[in-house]
Amino acid sequence: MEMTPDDTIVFVLAGFAINATILFTWIVMAILTIVSVLITRNLRPEVPPNRWRTTLEAIVLTIQGQIDEISARPDRRLLYFTGTLFLFIVTSNLLMIIPGWHSPTGSLSTTAALALAVLVAVPLFGISSRGIGGYLHSYLEPNVIMLPFNIISEFSRGISLAIRLYGNVMSGAVIGAILLGVAPFFFPVVMDLLGLLTGVIQAYIFAILATVYISSTTAPPDTQPESTTAKEQT
Amino acid sequence: MSIDWITVAAQVVNFLVLVWLLKRFLYRPILDGIDARENQIAKRMSEAARVREAAEIAEAEYRAETERLKAARDVTLEQARAEAATERDVLMSETRARLKREQATREAERAQEARRYTNRLHQDGASALISLSRKALSDLSGETLEERIVARAVTRLADMTGDLKAAAGDSREAVVTTHEALADDLRRQIEAAVDDARPGTTVRYATDPGQSPGLSLRLGGAQLGWTVDSYIDGLQDILDDAARRKGHAHVA
Repeated sequence: MEMTPDDTIVFVLAGFAINATILFTWIVMAILTIVSVLITRNLRPEVPPNRWRTTLEAIVLTIQGQIDEISARPDRRLLYFTGTLFLFIVTSNLLMIIPGWHSPTGSLSTTAALALAVLVAVPLFGISSRGIGGYLHSYLEPNVIMLPFNIISEFSRGISLAIRLYGNVMSGAVIGAILLGVAPFFFPVVMDLLGLLTGVIQAYIFAILATVYISSTTAPPDTQPESTTAKEQT
Repeated sequence: MSIDWITVAAQVVNFLVLVWLLKRFLYRPILDGIDARENQIAKRMSEAARVREAAEIAEAEYRAETERLKAARDVTLEQARAEAATERDVLMSETRARLKREQATREAERAQEARRYTNRLHQDGASALISLSRKALSDLSGETLEERIVARAVTRLADMTGDLKAAAGDSREAVVTTHEALADDLRRQIEAAVDDARPGTTVRYATDPGQSPGLSLRLGGAQLGWTVDSYIDGLQDILDDAARRKGHAHVA
């Protein structure tokens, strides 16, 4: 039994081995892009919105609303980043309902890449918001003794993000595969349904935590989001 | 559980590409569309607010105009009432004045009619009295009324010679006026009597149809008359007395 789709080489392109993780990532990217293009191609103010456009607007506005609740400085760039995180993860997880689907989020490489993106985005958003001096000064708070702990905390965030998402998605897939061998008719269906719920929740948690991390660096020191601690405990 | 760092790098790139794609094809069109729609709604709301404000202004102007017209109507009505009252008073006073004038005119006409009636009665009475006197004189003594008047005048002239001379002054012409022309013998009697009373005086005769039957003589400042006027007046008194008695009888 393969524990990660990284090991499955689908084809070789220009000397690069394209594994299942990258292939299914491209499929998710294609689905998201094509659906977006199809829905938004006739988007004009005088054209009344149809049900698909309304659904897409509701999704985008819900993400924006979540960001507005968390962040002291709502920014569209934050929507682009965390919204894409959420949509990519939730689409990857929901497509697990399709037989033979290897979710890219079931690969530690993918979750590590997403965590790495968050890890890089946090200082970038912080520097663009508060300046490089203001951002680096945040590592010395509340005093200089806390500098190593703050650095460790910063990296542990990325690691915890990556491991949490990978563990949940991979464990769901592994448990489903085991139950399929033990009781092939009833439990796999229940576990798949549970996996869908878990996938949506994990996508939500990953995106929210990324938003909280980024917001904590963009907000002024006296307006740290109160929900940071609660979200991290989730 | 292992990490393929090439896959990690590829996934980072894939993720960044996906961010760009979704930004290009999802977020920006959706958010721009929402913004455009919100702007359009805000514009419509603003337009609606402007129209509402204009409508409220128009309503206020209409109400003010209505109030102004109502006030003007009240003023006009009050003015019309005042003018009507004034016109009525003027018409009433004019009517009263006209009635007063007509009443005065009728009173004058009635008085004039009464006078005409009295004059006619006076003339008719005089004519009847004279006719009766003539008939009585003719039947009883075979004389005319003029003969008796002239005879009486001649007699009276003889008695009044002194007074006549004093009143005549330097006048040497006597004027005798009668209702009708006198006969020649009667004229001669008068001329003789005048000459006796005041020698050298000529007599001129005149007729006046408006004068009562009889004779009047004027010599200088002297004026003598022998007419039936006094008798006619006596007759008028008798008739008035009879009319009053009749009126009292009616009242009783």
